[in-house]
Amino acid sequence: MVGGQEPLLVLQDICKEFPGVKALDGVSLEIFPGEIHAVLGENGAGKSTLMKILSGILRKDRGEIILEGKRVDFRTPRDAISAGIALVQQELSLVPYLSVAENIFLGRWQRKGLGIDWRLLKKEAEELLRRFNLKIDPQALVEELSVAEQQIVEIIKAIAKPQVRVFLLDEPTSALGEKEIARLFELLFEIKKEGKAIIFISHKINEALVLSDRITVLRDGRKVITAPCRDLTERDVVFHMTGKTWERQREAESVVQKERVTPILVLQNFSVDNFVRDVNLEVARGEILVIFGLVGSGRTTLAEGLFGLRRHTGKLFLEGKEIELSSPLEAVHSGIGYIPEDRRHGLIYEMPVFSNITLAVLSDVSRKGILKLEEEFRLAGKFVQDLRIKTPNIFREVLFLSGGNQQKVLLARWLARNPRVLVMDEPTRGIDVGAKFEIRELTKSLALTGLGIIYITSEAPEALEFSSRIAVMRNGKIVAIFDDPSRITKSDLIAAASGALEREVVWNGQR
Amino acid sequence: MAKDKEVTGSTAFLPSVRSIVLKGGSLVGVVALSIAFASFTPHFMTLSNWLNILRQVSVVMILASAQTMVIIAGGIDLSVGSLLALGGCLAAVAMSYWGWSFVLGSLLGIAIATLAGLGNGVIIAKGKIPDFIATLGMLGALRGVSLLITGGLPVPSHFTATKLAGYLPQVLVFLGSGDLWVIPVPAAIGVGVVIITWFILSRTTFGRSLYAVGGNREAARASGIDVDRVKVIVYGLAGLYCGAGGLVLVGRMNSANALMAEGIELQTIAAVVIGGTNLSGGRGSVFGTLVGAILMGVLSNGLNLLNVQPFWQRVVNGLLIIIVVLFDQWRRRLGE
Repeated sequence: MVGGQEPLLVLQDICKEFPGVKALDGVSLEIFPGEIHAVLGENGAGKSTLMKILSGILRKDRGEIILEGKRVDFRTPRDAISAGIALVQQELSLVPYLSVAENIFLGRWQRKGLGIDWRLLKKEAEELLRRFNLKIDPQALVEELSVAEQQIVEIIKAIAKPQVRVFLLDEPTSALGEKEIARLFELLFEIKKEGKAIIFISHKINEALVLSDRITVLRDGRKVITAPCRDLTERDVVFHMTGKTWERQREAESVVQKERVTPILVLQNFSVDNFVRDVNLEVARGEILVIFGLVGSGRTTLAEGLFGLRRHTGKLFLEGKEIELSSPLEAVHSGIGYIPEDRRHGLIYEMPVFSNITLAVLSDVSRKGILKLEEEFRLAGKFVQDLRIKTPNIFREVLFLSGGNQQKVLLARWLARNPRVLVMDEPTRGIDVGAKFEIRELTKSLALTGLGIIYITSEAPEALEFSSRIAVMRNGKIVAIFDDPSRITKSDLIAAASGALEREVVWNGQR
Repeated sequence: MAKDKEVTGSTAFLPSVRSIVLKGGSLVGVVALSIAFASFTPHFMTLSNWLNILRQVSVVMILASAQTMVIIAGGIDLSVGSLLALGGCLAAVAMSYWGWSFVLGSLLGIAIATLAGLGNGVIIAKGKIPDFIATLGMLGALRGVSLLITGGLPVPSHFTATKLAGYLPQVLVFLGSGDLWVIPVPAAIGVGVVIITWFILSRTTFGRSLYAVGGNREAARASGIDVDRVKVIVYGLAGLYCGAGGLVLVGRMNSANALMAEGIELQTIAAVVIGGTNLSGGRGSVFGTLVGAILMGVLSNGLNLLNVQPFWQRVVNGLLIIIVVLFDQWRRRLGE
């Protein structure tokens, strides 16, 4: 498919500068019809900027964009779409109270007299969905769909515009479980068959290697390499992304000693929102309990229940004492910290780094309600240093930090409070390899200081890598507990999480 | 990642003008307007005229400071004018009909305005009613209460059945229209309130919570901030400011009436917005609001001096808000 063909899209020497940062520095790229092209790079490498320029959200400072032999210059996303380039938003841009069909043809509804030709609308939507083998009801309201289905509708919406030949996808799989990712891949292959091109950004290297024909790696706004996937290994890619060699290692299994004698947090018949039912778990001091589950398994609901964000029944013991959590306030005061699945729910973007860090310990850095700024700055500075948060200074708004560093700010907020239990919901989602590694390292060292950690993830390798124990959730229930993660494999986990093991199983008989 | 800022402009001069305009915001507007007015009329650039401007905007300054805190916390208070009238009228009634002393009467006025403000907060936080609706309701209701208290007549007045116990105390009149050396007392109070507000916003845990609640309510809650309590307190505080503003206004007019300062809520919102505070909360400063209030004061004062028809003044005042916000948007886009 590549070679001998005219490129569909050519980028020449694209440059974009923001105050103080060269986001893109002379990036050139060719995209061919029927190609799936992955753009990889750490956060801040310029991937998103590139996508935004291609989709008309940002304007380039210099360089040329040539689409099918013609020079184009996009001022707005509308220009880009009518020229044939569509961005499938990472943040969903669907209207929740309209139907799937209405959303797909949003703004382009066929008129019939004074009204809308509903029948035609429905028929066309049905055809599209059938063409891609999707079992989504065109008349369902978007708000009733799962996140994964919404994402698919989002892509269909772009496909429905016949002029669009280049699709830009920003982290398309970040909100999806493994099954849904497979479905998305099928859809992308269908698009490819039609001779259209797909450019996508991802943090998941293995995914990019499986899915794409060629890969481009960006680093600090410059292109490092463009190469066919078959010529690259995961290690090569990491090397190009970071400029450092990386040994994939199975991390020592017993980093964390299992002092099972002193459970710090005990859940008894803990149920949340009529969805998560009868969870019995304990977390010991110094233990990392991974809760593994696919999207929709109830992991987040459980975490929110544990932090008093949702109504729950059952008993909760912290250090042997029963506690009541009817609000996050009580959770915070009893020593539970929580890092939500979506950073946007935890951070206050317009606030600087320092006040985001000290937000949960304001009473420690103040006297009688008056802030002791020096002390606050010192505390924040210490965490910025300890966690290696990359920021020009502590007064920078969190908004301007990369995802990994934002996550660290959130972590710092809880560390400042010295919690006894920390609940982390997908803390490494959507951040780059280097930051992922650092967050895991930090989590481990936290456990070593005696914290009990509940670590939620939907990535099996991550679950296996550094957990003390793994509990698997499905349909709101704990379906399996693995007391010795070193003795199981990824497929054991997936099997349990996807329902291949139906009965409740406790492995190793240690409980 | 972030390198040191490089100068990329063509000449060194242009970027510096640009950066003054970018950083200065509304202050540049005040300076530009002043230069313009000064070149048209010799009466503008005099000390007495400036003191006059400050005196005129003092009440707006006090109320807009309250509005700044409320808006930073993600709310909006449409009832500031009605709170002011309620506090001012009750204080005036107490002092002139019931024979209360200045201190007791003032305390009563401020207390009742504070209570009504707390009421706003409780309705919003516990009743889960949008801030706009709750305070819109209070805007009407509290005006009604003031009318009931005063019987629709100015206070003090000889036309009531109740016998007048005396005129308004001299201290109150001094608060509203006196001078300290050359500084008008109400202006000094206004600036004092702005400074106190600045201190609250930037140096107290409560102020920090206001930014947190307005910036991201959920995140604030998840950090252990009692969002409801913060809301109740900030509306209560706004009530307190309005009560104080009411005393200043009554002192300035040497009379209270239930319909005083009608429509002032829009002026306070305008001052806040012109001052660069984000209407959706989480970002802003009270010094910006101060500049915003002064900008509006300078504009109407200058137009008066130039003998521009009051009808035209309304047009200009309205357009000012739009222009400033347009400018602010442009500024932010460039800043990104």
